[in-house]
Amino acid sequence: MRYENLVYEQKPFDGVYVLDVHGHIGFEQGSQLGPHDGKSIVHTMDRMGVDAVCVSYSPGLRGDWKRGNDITAQVCGAYRGRVLGYAAPNPFHKDCDVSEYFAEDRGFVGIKIHGNIQGETPENDPRYAHAFELANKRKLPVLFHAWMPYEIDRAADVARQYPDLKVIIGHGGLTFAREHAVAVCKKYDNVYCDTAISSAPDGSIEWLVDKIGIDRVLYGSDMTFFDCIHTMGKIALAKLTDEEKEKIFGLNAKSLFGL
Amino acid sequence: MLNFIDARCQLGRRGIVREGEPVTKSDILELMDRCSIEKAIAYHAMAKEGDMKAGNDLLLQETEGDERFIRQWCAMPSTFGEFMGAEELAEQMKKHHVSSIRLFPKTHGYSVKPYAMGKFMDVMAQCHVPVFLTYAECGSEDNLYSLLSSYPEVNFIISDASYRENRKLFPLMEQCKNLLLGTGNFVVHGGVKLICDYFGAERMIFDTGLPMGSATAAVALICYAEISEEEKQLIAHGNIERLLADVKL
Repeated sequence: MRYENLVYEQKPFDGVYVLDVHGHIGFEQGSQLGPHDGKSIVHTMDRMGVDAVCVSYSPGLRGDWKRGNDITAQVCGAYRGRVLGYAAPNPFHKDCDVSEYFAEDRGFVGIKIHGNIQGETPENDPRYAHAFELANKRKLPVLFHAWMPYEIDRAADVARQYPDLKVIIGHGGLTFAREHAVAVCKKYDNVYCDTAISSAPDGSIEWLVDKIGIDRVLYGSDMTFFDCIHTMGKIALAKLTDEEKEKIFGLNAKSLFGL
Repeated sequence: MLNFIDARCQLGRRGIVREGEPVTKSDILELMDRCSIEKAIAYHAMAKEGDMKAGNDLLLQETEGDERFIRQWCAMPSTFGEFMGAEELAEQMKKHHVSSIRLFPKTHGYSVKPYAMGKFMDVMAQCHVPVFLTYAECGSEDNLYSLLSSYPEVNFIISDASYRENRKLFPLMEQCKNLLLGTGNFVVHGGVKLICDYFGAERMIFDTGLPMGSATAAVALICYAEISEEEKQLIAHGNIERLLADVKL
């Protein structure tokens, strides 16, 4: 009952490790967001008791990949240990090489693939291979935007080709394609699901835990598209034990990211 | 601890249900208890998905003697006598203690333009009946503007506005003081504070969209919003209580 009581009493989630594996920073082309810079997300994290968030820079996913990843690096540097970076490759630029972001400790912990806003590029496209090879070599997590069945299938293909990297199916475990995500998780040991979706009804997280096991479910919020409070509330008030909630909130991700 | 009144709840057997989701009235009550939701304004799934009149009748049966649910009927303008006329609707609502209506213009295939809504909305305005609908059901922001600006004396509770609609929603809120925003799936980072700062807490109404929406997420969004306790109380229950107290059927 610990986490239910925190919500009822409107208290932050102190004393439990919370790692949000699915965050964004930066302006969004197609919709007005709330506050979306590093300072504002750390402010929210402080209020909520979130220890760390993994982010990519949204304008860089669609546009200038180099500038985007550089901005992510700046924010990671400004909020060291609180904001962790996903390096995001762009399939249309032959000079795109994200390995420089991992050459020294610049706060990057994984790769973000968002093919559907990069010219509908398939998630397993060979133009992403350099990033997958890097992730495989370093045993890094790769967060895929994957809520359509075909996106999940392509992410699964990456999991098959690169067994040492860790695939996070972003959104997919709780969308209409959730059965698909579950099937992929059952087939490949290196596949995980995050909780970042706004429209999932109550009971969805419990359902996912039942299908793929508690160790494969990761807290992701999709902040700053969404408020991280939204999904934290879903987990805190879910019909799960405190120990299970702690795994989802951060213990699973801490282990996955080697933090 | 905050107590909530949920302004958007659906009762009854619905067509599409996925494993794990709440289904029955007791599932919904269990969630309401878990989330400190004292009461819910409820319409019936049949009135949306199937036969409006039959669904409204089922709502009366299924909420008979149950003080946790505040009755809401689905309604639409009557054309060629298909649905009851506006005056009869108001009479029946009074008789059966139904205090608000919910519109599904897209699902039920009618226009929200004044030429189609005419007398129906005039009667709702006279009776101070709050009118509920989701953003997507209006079809477009221009339709919504037309509806809201044509009936400025009617309070419209617009819910389930996607974060993708903010650049359309915020000007509507600025122009139409009779637009109150349902909070349920308004998931924008810092969004509750944003609305309170720009438009005031009296412009937000707590709702969940149960059983398809998430009550657990909805209550957390208000509990942890960076606003005053007084503002939370208004959003959680005060604003909807004020609207319902003003109904004159």
